[in-house]
Amino acid sequence: MILKLANRNIIGNGKRSLINMFILAIVLVGLLWMMSMFYSWINLSKTQLKEWEQAEGMLWQKDYDPYDAFSFDKSLAPISTDQVSAINAGKAVPILLSQAVAYPQGRMMPTVLKGIPYSQSLLKIPSSYLKDTGDGLVPAVIGTGLAKTMKLEKGDILTLRIKDVSGVYDALDLSITHIMRSPVPAIDNGAIWIDLDTMQQYMAAPGYASQIVLEDSSLMSLADENWLYKSRSVLMKDFNEVLQTELASQSLLFGLFLFLAMIAIFDTQVLSLFKRRKEIGTLSALGMTQQQIIGLFTVEGLLYMVYAVLIGIVLGLPLFLWFGIKGWVLPDSYSDFGMIGFTETIYFKYPIWIILLVLGVMFGATALASWLPTLRIARLKPTDALRGKLK
Amino acid sequence: MEDKLVVISKMSKAFPTGEGDFLALKNINLSFAKGEFSGIVGPSGSGKTTMLNIIGSLDSQTEGEVKVMGYEIKELSSKQAADLRSRHLGFIFQTYNLLPVYTVYENVEFPLLLLSMSKEERHKAVMQALEWLGLTDKIKSRPAQLSGGQCQRVAIARAMVKQPGLVLADEPTANLDTENSLHILDMMKKLNQELGTSFIFSTHDQKVIDYLRRVIRLVDGEVVSDDTKAR
Repeated sequence: MILKLANRNIIGNGKRSLINMFILAIVLVGLLWMMSMFYSWINLSKTQLKEWEQAEGMLWQKDYDPYDAFSFDKSLAPISTDQVSAINAGKAVPILLSQAVAYPQGRMMPTVLKGIPYSQSLLKIPSSYLKDTGDGLVPAVIGTGLAKTMKLEKGDILTLRIKDVSGVYDALDLSITHIMRSPVPAIDNGAIWIDLDTMQQYMAAPGYASQIVLEDSSLMSLADENWLYKSRSVLMKDFNEVLQTELASQSLLFGLFLFLAMIAIFDTQVLSLFKRRKEIGTLSALGMTQQQIIGLFTVEGLLYMVYAVLIGIVLGLPLFLWFGIKGWVLPDSYSDFGMIGFTETIYFKYPIWIILLVLGVMFGATALASWLPTLRIARLKPTDALRGKLK
Repeated sequence: MEDKLVVISKMSKAFPTGEGDFLALKNINLSFAKGEFSGIVGPSGSGKTTMLNIIGSLDSQTEGEVKVMGYEIKELSSKQAADLRSRHLGFIFQTYNLLPVYTVYENVEFPLLLLSMSKEERHKAVMQALEWLGLTDKIKSRPAQLSGGQCQRVAIARAMVKQPGLVLADEPTANLDTENSLHILDMMKKLNQELGTSFIFSTHDQKVIDYLRRVIRLVDGEVVSDDTKAR
């Protein structure tokens, strides 16, 4: 009965109802889009971090501090026999780090040199380009970010000064064999990559490494007094902190959207109560309880949301399909923001929990915005309502 | 006492105003029996509607006792009062107060929905009420498509459909022309006679007064006369 009457009232309300439904539908689609974009970006970023940098965890030489570049020179330790076995089995990849100074076009730029076996396939870094070609130059791969900073192109020769474990400086000429486009800013901007064996020779540190990337978290057993195991959750700490900031701004935007939509509903309800005072009195005279009348108006508000969902499906489905299939390509300039994941197409995913969460929040907020104005009904005397009075 | 639907004793009603209380009804003592066709008449502001509202449990008295169908109005909770209205009372208003989004059929059916009757029972009762009022050809019309007289007939059908013990009609002919007024009154009188439903009117319309069997005159909140015509 209440549902039928509420539905008739909404339809009878004409354009005002339609505007409310459209506002709610647009907010619904907008919120779903935002949430899905955020979720898909997080997923993509996590995958990219895993594929390009962290795999399923890492061993860090005990003195290694990623926030202190000066620690790099002493952050190396011999790779143990067990670790070598895992490396040879393709389950782990050693990386050697060192501070270096590059001299692109006569300029001097501090940088980080990283050594990685050219034969590795655990990380997406195109290390096959690091294989020695016998031309006397050391093959090197850099990211597009660093190439832009150093104004380097494929085939350029770059002179580099490094320091070996004894503190002796040496110079080497690198040949840029490949410029990679990595979605992970630390990989794209942060380092010059050469073959691990070559770097160990120049560093006079054969069999040494600074990090060992692990294929599986079960390889944490390879940690010893020189090597500390860092799980993915530890490695993701920085990313998660960025995520928290993003989440806060997303929530603010989410709340603002919701607030605007709820104002529309609240306003409609207040106006509706004012215009329909006599109807409230009549319903009361006919025997409806205050709770039933409050329920009627609340259901009316909620029905706007039900219709908004239907309109949202019509409006949003093509949009969601487009972003799910074609993805969202951000302009190149976004890569300058240094945010992971922004350089690749983001294919939207719509997990059921996101849909249920957005619907739940919107239905809850609509119910509240619909119900709050009806509290006046509880204070309204039927005789006043019949006379058209509303206190 | 058993055939008394309404018993009012020493009832007063005061409304608070900025300058103290305004006494709208003063020391009223009345009773209404089953099957009465009576009216409270008097000029505007005499307290007719206030009395009708109290009998209809839409309001309550300030002092005294008002028993309707055995229920003391002042002691009823809001829910109990709604239940009393829903089960035993019918209302007819001056401005019809039909639900504009409902059809004639749905408007008449509405009070039965509150009584949780089955669909078949509802249909039977609604069609019977519409037949009484000669509205069977208008069941799909909406109030906006009807004349004032037709709207008031729908309102009467809505009040009568659950066959209440008492129908309270507040100035039911005020918005109608003479022909429609008389038609409506004829119908209500017929329903009163055939179904035994009690009617209490609030009116100052002479046409209505002429139809009443019992006329209670109210002036400034006080009963000044209570006359019953011989049958």
